[in-house]
Amino acid sequence: MTAALEADGVEVWLGRRATSRILDGVGLTAPAGQIVGLIGETGSGKTTLARAIAGLAPLHAGAVRVDGVPVSGLRGAELRRFRRTGRVQYVFQDPLRSLDPDLTVAESVAEGLAVRGDGRAADRRTAAVAALRLVGLDPALGDRLPGQISGGQRQRVTLARALAVGPRVLLLDEPVSALDAANRNHVLRVLDRLRRERELAIVLITHDLGSLAGVADRIVVLHHGRVVEEGPATQVLLAPEHPYTQRLIASVPSIDGPRPIYARSTT
Amino acid sequence: MLSVDDLHLAAGPRELVHGVSFTLTPGEAIGLVGESGSGKTLTCRAILGVPPPGVTVTGGTIALAGEDVSRYTRRQWDRVRGTRVAAVFQDPASYLNPSLTVGRQLDEVLRVKNGLSRRDARARAVELFASMGLHRPEHVHGQYPYELSGGMLQRVLIAIAVSGDPDLLVADEATTALDVTVQAEVLDLIAGLRERRRLSLLLVSHDLAVVAQLCDRVVVLRDGRVVESGPTRQVLDDPADPYTRALVADHREYGLDRLVTR
Amino acid sequence: MRALRLAVRLPSARVALAVLGVVVVLMAVGEWLAPYDPLHQDTTAILAGPSAEHWLGTDYVGRDVLSRLLAGSRLSVIAAAEAVGLGLLLGVLPGLASVYLGRVFEWLSLRVMDGLMALPFIIFAIAVAALLGNGLHQAMFAVGVLLAPTFYRVTRAAAGGLRQAQYVEAATLFGATRWRIVRTHVWQKVLPTVVVTTATAMAGALLVVSSLTFLGIGVQPPAPTWGGMLASDLGYLSQRPFGPLAPALLIIVTVAALNALADAITVDPATSTKEAHDAVRR
Repeated sequence: MTAALEADGVEVWLGRRATSRILDGVGLTAPAGQIVGLIGETGSGKTTLARAIAGLAPLHAGAVRVDGVPVSGLRGAELRRFRRTGRVQYVFQDPLRSLDPDLTVAESVAEGLAVRGDGRAADRRTAAVAALRLVGLDPALGDRLPGQISGGQRQRVTLARALAVGPRVLLLDEPVSALDAANRNHVLRVLDRLRRERELAIVLITHDLGSLAGVADRIVVLHHGRVVEEGPATQVLLAPEHPYTQRLIASVPSIDGPRPIYARSTT
Repeated sequence: MLSVDDLHLAAGPRELVHGVSFTLTPGEAIGLVGESGSGKTLTCRAILGVPPPGVTVTGGTIALAGEDVSRYTRRQWDRVRGTRVAAVFQDPASYLNPSLTVGRQLDEVLRVKNGLSRRDARARAVELFASMGLHRPEHVHGQYPYELSGGMLQRVLIAIAVSGDPDLLVADEATTALDVTVQAEVLDLIAGLRERRRLSLLLVSHDLAVVAQLCDRVVVLRDGRVVESGPTRQVLDDPADPYTRALVADHREYGLDRLVTR
Repeated sequence: MRALRLAVRLPSARVALAVLGVVVVLMAVGEWLAPYDPLHQDTTAILAGPSAEHWLGTDYVGRDVLSRLLAGSRLSVIAAAEAVGLGLLLGVLPGLASVYLGRVFEWLSLRVMDGLMALPFIIFAIAVAALLGNGLHQAMFAVGVLLAPTFYRVTRAAAGGLRQAQYVEAATLFGATRWRIVRTHVWQKVLPTVVVTTATAMAGALLVVSSLTFLGIGVQPPAPTWGGMLASDLGYLSQRPFGPLAPALLIIVTVAALNALADAITVDPATSTKEAHDAVRR
């Protein structure tokens, strides 16, 4: 069976030099109905991988397939046609910067449909309202501008915008790291529901291993542009094999009290 | 050390903080927690004498070492800031001049605040960078902010903050934007500074786990009011107020603590 | 867009708009308001001071100054608008295209604009007048071409920052065409800058029209223009020392109003209050 999203041997170089590789032969598979956690810190290449999968960063080698169909080679009008299917959606890290400050929330959420040319403006508005409800937002927010709503709400608006076009694969870049616990839980619950009800393949990118516990089915750990560890979430979290993963887990602060001084000795 | 008593803050006719009180004894660490809009950052900025534009202290007192600073003038603040109270924030890069080396910026502070000569200031700066756990401190001294990572910049900011040997360090979401491993290192650094320098610490964070790492006591704010305060373990393990209970439950719903018992 | 709406609330912008409104009215109906034929020469009153018949006096051949100013408004303002309109067309469109049409067009357009910027204003206008004939439209064509690089640069600067904007990337991921992105995301951000530049360029163009007509380029003498009047009045400074005052003031007030309007749009009150608002929220 082919997974909803398959990427293998992905290489992205800095400029045109093969010597400086941001990603060096990275593979990532996300089956429908599963959440794959992609863990990595600043400079690990996690955002670049998501951008490469979404087609925002050029691949120097490797392939990306959606439902078994190669998409990484598409160019020009063909690429636009594929994108208009909305099958792969990317939710940016910073919701404030990824929403046009001059468009109302409803206009932003309906943008994908407008680009695709679905229905009339009124139908798109209805669809936008449905998408806002899906992520647990009051549809009355639709008439506000991004500057007039809270950070947690903006994050959900960008999620609604991606969901409005009915994706198969959802890539989320640090969707919860800037949120307080209540907002984080809300977003994670929405993702959990989407996975079950809509059979979405979700790639959840974060530097914070902790936020993946209880949500992710599988975890892939990225370090300096390479996958250093990969496996079922509980296995990676409870019995990490790679020293880097071990250090990541030891660094996560616990509400139950001070963490043993660990990070200092390993730097 | 720090005593906030019935502090009221308002933006024009709208009151935002309605009588917040807490005290911080020398060497103690307090965590100020609450969701966005709870008034934790406002309170912390008022304590530093830099309320956001339009926000003023409308009642109560903020006593630093026994002296009410809540109505201090700018000049009076210049005397207090750096030597009695210093702060680090979420985005270290925006507090540094991008066109000067970080070393020069620390030198400057040391020369103005501590009256050191150019040469002494440089030597002291390198020493401070070293004690912040920055590798090759001489090299870092000559680097520009853009050449340093977020974690290194935060260490530089902490070095600048403690250079005037303050009694109180305010850390407002200081590790929020950092990678987990770097966050752990910076938290360790702050813990170490507390021990070595007998610093009092006021830690503002939306992450209860960060507060649990460093703080002796926790003050929970909601809509500009203190809903609960007490020893960290008591507040987090056995919260009395329903709002605090919800905060803790939210925190525990996801996260590593569900899986790993440590 | 919001910047424009908010700017209009500033008192300085309102005064400027009122002044410009009067100028536009003068331009439209000035000829009919004029008490005399602007070309009629009253040989009995040459270089006369202000009087009940001639409120602003008469010039060196006895023409009514007020009538000439009113009639001259139209030529001066239309000429400046013509130049600015051409500048807008030749500047804004290539400016947007240089950001979104790819490297080749970007390189070419940059070189053309650099070349244009190197040309000295008035001398180029004189050369065009010599080549195409000495007429107002020819002169304004020259001015318009030379205004284009300004519009090109500001448009490029405003639009260039948006190429990497995440909401533009988000639209790209929806399969939006470049044209659609420019229409929905870029245009609104570029518009305030273009409006500001138009206002300052209009002020500049009025001065250039005035200088050119002052130099005798563009409009042939009996036809009245502000700059032409200023020039002829200056020749009779000893007989009528206050003569140049009226056309000069008109030029200054109009230019100042345009600049004040441009300033009002640039000083966006929204940003300062929004920052305060955000700080409070946190």
